[in-house]
Amino acid sequence: MRSSRDEPSQQAPATPGASTTDRAPGSGRGGRSARILGGGTEPDPRFTLANERTFLAWIRTALALLAGGVAVEAFTTDTFAQPVRTGLAVVLLLLAMVLAVAAGVRWLAVERAMRQQAPLPLSILVPVLAGGGALVAAAFLVVVLGNA
Amino acid sequence: MQPERTTLAWNRTMLALVVAGVLLLRWVPRHGWFPLGLTLLTAATALVITAGQARRYRRSARGIRDGRIDADVAGVLGTTVAVALLGALALVVVVALPLR
Repeated sequence: MRSSRDEPSQQAPATPGASTTDRAPGSGRGGRSARILGGGTEPDPRFTLANERTFLAWIRTALALLAGGVAVEAFTTDTFAQPVRTGLAVVLLLLAMVLAVAAGVRWLAVERAMRQQAPLPLSILVPVLAGGGALVAAAFLVVVLGNA
Repeated sequence: MQPERTTLAWNRTMLALVVAGVLLLRWVPRHGWFPLGLTLLTAATALVITAGQARRYRRSARGIRDGRIDADVAGVLGTTVAVALLGALALVVVVALPLR
């Protein structure tokens, strides 16, 4: 069970399930997870958890945008013309999808970088959200002013 | 504290999923079973997250003590796929399903 393997996943940690001190390489984590994360050494566990929380914060942002898109489409039938509703909903939903995927990609990139003690990658998430949010807000403004 | 914060973050995410799922019910009178299926998808994802909370907390607490934690690859990538899929299917509702 503790036979070491001659591959980068050597450093893959054991699931702290079998025994708390079991650190046999690759004994707990599936080979797939180890391969996805790449080699390197385990980062400080607090960093791993912080990375996970950051991912979750982005996912919640994506879910909020998704809910916004659904709400715009479903609740503004009396306020906005149908093409406006559809357009705004499509933009919000697309933004939600992009953010969700980018959040997962970024989590993985950060996780890998931490394992290699490499600098953390820059995120495209912030400019995407800022740009997309500004775009949607501007569109809303134009539509609302046009209605008035 | 770190495991607690992370577990709470998963909890908030689960609640956001439920809210989005309930909101999708607004489409049911107009589009029928398809949005209902989306609500079920969010409910299923929320259930999976909730079911894993105790295990997640134990794992993190033990990890902090032992100085190493297995990154939750399945949890993170699974959530990513679920939310992206939800967005894609919601787009299908908006763009492709007939309006009344």
